[in-house]
Amino acid sequence: MRDKLESLGKSFQDSGVEVFLRADLTCSRREELLKLLRRFRPTFDIIGVRCTNHNLALVAARDRRVDLIFFDPAKRNAWLDDSIANVSNAPLELNMSVLLEMGNLILARFMKDVRIARRHNMDVVLSSGGTSPFFVRAPIQLMAIAEILGLSKQEAIKSVSTLPSGIVRRNAERRSRNYVEDGVKIITGRIEA
Amino acid sequence: MTRRYLRVKICSPVTVTEEQFVQALTASIVKYFGEVGLSRIAPKLIRFDSRRSSVVVAFAKDHVVEMQAALAFIRQIGESEALTLPLKTSGTIKGLGKS
Repeated sequence: MRDKLESLGKSFQDSGVEVFLRADLTCSRREELLKLLRRFRPTFDIIGVRCTNHNLALVAARDRRVDLIFFDPAKRNAWLDDSIANVSNAPLELNMSVLLEMGNLILARFMKDVRIARRHNMDVVLSSGGTSPFFVRAPIQLMAIAEILGLSKQEAIKSVSTLPSGIVRRNAERRSRNYVEDGVKIITGRIEA
Repeated sequence: MTRRYLRVKICSPVTVTEEQFVQALTASIVKYFGEVGLSRIAPKLIRFDSRRSSVVVAFAKDHVVEMQAALAFIRQIGESEALTLPLKTSGTIKGLGKS
């Protein structure tokens, strides 16, 4: 699989498009999630976890290998609450494609999620989440929706621009040869006196 | 009422008519912001270029965010899927430049 993904990435790079690979992990048990993270973390640039229940959401929110967590709006047994937002290292992802498909029914839930996330200083990331070109939205439109959901202008810019690029940059650094652990990396070269 | 002007590009596999666009925009605003929101935003079609799929819309100055969001919420114009891309916002029609 890695070879296929690398060749796919290379073909995009040849056309001048930078590609980052993302995997969305869906499971229902903690052990299953940890196994999937061990397997897929080294291959993909971004790892998102679809939280199907409260316990899984807690594990995903705490795990540093998880880049984004998101909730399935169709599931009624999993939603963002204070206990998850309080311990979360990963930002909450809000998919615009869900909002476009389900309409204003989901708008109130997204607004509530944003309120909880802000209360606990949890970051929020907005993405198109599109499976077709017609679901893709311009960054300025995503920012406008973020403001409608309750984020301030600065937070809206952060949720569309700074946070996603930060996740990609951080993971590229983590996957480099010189990385040891958070805050520790190997620096080669001579020190001038 | 001070107004702002927005140039929008419509991406659709079929040709969109002026009526279809106005209907889609109005429906989107009413759905997400209500009738009161519609009267506050007060959208008005200024120019419609079907050949270039370019539209200029005027709206109330204080509701730029709502207008951008309403355009983002449009999924369908007429019978086909569509996408609206805001190109430029300006305080004058002249400021939008030529399409």
